[in-house]
Formats: sequence, C-alpha cells, structure tokens
Amino acid sequence: MSLSERAFTNMHDFLKKNSGISVQKDKMYLLESRLNPLVRKHGISSLEKLVDMVCSDQTSAFAHEVIDCMTTNETLFFRDSYPFNALREIVFPELMAMPSANIRNIKIWSAASSRGQEAYSIAMTALDVLPGADKQVKILATDLSPPAVEYAKGGIYSQFEVQRGMPIQELVKHFKQLGDSSWQVNDKLRGMLSFNVANLISDNVIHTVRHHSEFDVVFCRNVLIYFEVEERRKVIDRIAKVMRPGAYLFTGNGERVEGENSKWEAVNYNKRPFWKMLSAR
Amino acid sequence: MSNKILVVDDAKVVRVSLGKIMKKLGFEIFEAEDGAVALEQMKSHPDIAIIMLDWNMPVMNGYDFLVALRAQPKHATLPYVVMVTTETGMPSMLKALAGGANEYIMKPFSESIIRDKLEILGIEEPR
Repeated sequence: MSLSERAFTNMHDFLKKNSGISVQKDKMYLLESRLNPLVRKHGISSLEKLVDMVCSDQTSAFAHEVIDCMTTNETLFFRDSYPFNALREIVFPELMAMPSANIRNIKIWSAASSRGQEAYSIAMTALDVLPGADKQVKILATDLSPPAVEYAKGGIYSQFEVQRGMPIQELVKHFKQLGDSSWQVNDKLRGMLSFNVANLISDNVIHTVRHHSEFDVVFCRNVLIYFEVEERRKVIDRIAKVMRPGAYLFTGNGERVEGENSKWEAVNYNKRPFWKMLSAR
Repeated sequence: MSNKILVVDDAKVVRVSLGKIMKKLGFEIFEAEDGAVALEQMKSHPDIAIIMLDWNMPVMNGYDFLVALRAQPKHATLPYVVMVTTETGMPSMLKALAGGANEYIMKPFSESIIRDKLEILGIEEPR
C-alpha cells in the first residue's frame, strides 16, 4: 500500500510536530515500510485511512503507537565502538583526575537511548575501567518512546540482540541467562541506570532531566540526522543547558554540533569527533 | 594477516551458508567437517587467519580441536577462533573462552552478527 501526496504531507506534519522527525519525500518508502505492518495489525483498510485516524486524534494511543513505530530504530550494543573507547581512554581518566573525583558522582545521559543498549554499554565500559563505578557512575537513559523505555528498564534482550555488537566477554560478565534463550542484565549494571520518557524537541526535556543535575557526558547519537537544521540547533542548545562546562557530548557518525558553535570544541578520537563544552552557559 | 578462513562444521549446509557470507566479505574459504580434518587443514595452511568452529562434531569435537590448536606454540594466540554453535549455555561459553576461543556466536547466526563479531575482533573485511 502506498501513500498519496496529501496523506504524505499530513503524516509528515504530524510526525514533525510530535516527534521532531522530518521525513523527506525521498524517504516515503520508510513511512510505507514501517506503517504497513500497523495497517495489517489493526485491520485498517488502507494506509490513507491510518493517516486520517492518526491526524484526527493526535493524542490517541494509536497515534503514540505510530510515533513509536517511526522513531524506534534498530540498535546494538557498543555501536560504532569508538565512543566507548574514547570514554575508556580519554573521558573517564580525565574525570577521575579531577580534584573532586573521589566525592562526586559521574553523571551520564543517554538522550536517545531506544531500547537501552547504548546506556548499558556505557555502564559496562565504566565498570571495566573504574573501580567502584557501580556506586559512582549514574546513567540516565531517556527516549521519546514509552515502550522503548519500558524495554530498556526490563533489561532483557533476545539471543539475537545480545550478539549485536557485544563482545562475548561482556555478555558472560554482565548478563545472566534466562530459560527462554533470552538474557538479562545483572543487578549491578541495572543499578547504575535510571529511566525516563523524554522528548528532545520539547523544552520540558530540560525539566525532566535537570533534577539529575549537571551531566559530565551526554550521548545523543543517531537521532539528530532526523531533524531539520533549526530543530537540531534547538536540541543541542537544550542539551547544553544540562551539561557542566568541560563536559563531553557524543553525537552519531557524521552528526555535528549546531547551535552556539563557539560553545564546543571538537576532540578527535581515531579521526572521529566528539565534543567538549567550553564556556559557561 | 591473510584473508584465509577455515569453516569447521559437520553440517555441509552450515559450511556452505557461512562460507557464502564470508566469501561475500572477501575471505578465501577453507572447509573441514570435523576437528581432525581441521588440524590437517591448519598444517597445510598455517596462515589461516580465522577459524569459525562448530562444537558438536564426530571424530573430534570443536572444543578438543581448540585445545589441540592452542597447545601448538605457533597457534597459541592466533588464528582467531570464533565458536559458532548451538551450545548456547553460559558454562559452554566460559569453557570455550578459557580454552582460547576469541568470540562466540550462538546459532542461528546472521550476516549482521558475523560482521559485528569480526569488527569486535578488529578484523577488517578484505573486500
């Protein structure tokens, strides 16, 4: 089933308003491939009808299901590996060398955490290199999608998922095997994380995460590409508001900081950039 | 590092499907249907860089092959050995790691899992 011009425009506007995602016309196939399974699941007569249903009640449970469907992406543990190596080799050593290192917690925000693989990968990295990380490192995992946040909170992954990106040594160290060939993160790892639903395109996100105080590290990876330039700027500026000066921001491959550029210094790790926040807000 | 890879599995269908994926990634494929044949292959092709190794096989199983391979000084750390097996229990994984395996794939495998595991080992696809 394919979409008419009118239905595409309506769906584009709905997604942009509610999730910030801007689906361009050349990605129409993405809309169709993700939404057609929902058409079948709910026995809706056509994709056009689905769009009408969503647009006529944009706050319905079904509208949220459509947003989840469009925003929850396949992800894997230790994605791209370099951010975790940079944490290990540059960021954690620097944080531990700070005068207050013994008395303060290290706070990390995984801002588009999807099903939690990124946040748990950060926790595993911390446990591998920092003695006492389970007490000292606090990781907040947020995502726009409530089902994705619930999934992350459960910390249970399929045999397929735990094999995507995760070294076997990490699996045997940090997971326990459940009866049905699934795997659950152990309590030590789980205890380092807290979870929340948060929408990066809303100013409310600052209030949602601010009570965790200022972050030393933020991961906001593979989500900025879905936003238009102006929205990207706003998202980066919101994130900057909850980071302490000198904190680090990791974006996805090819995603660069926008907004107040003077605030950021690129740090290179194996020719891949991540970002250090320079000035006070 | 050479681009030679040895696929050890008693099921031909697995050797073919694994071999097909690895060939697509640019590797040169060698096959063995059990551990004993695999040891012979290693004698003939000592520069094999990666072994994809099943566990349960007749004649010599994968674990016994692994131990015999790592007992040879020239193969004490290389080639990389990736277990590819239906033995999906944690005790088997710990045993294989202690025996010198570098990675572990629980069957059924997929191309994405294989590519992830190669990346974890720092192995570049030759193609």
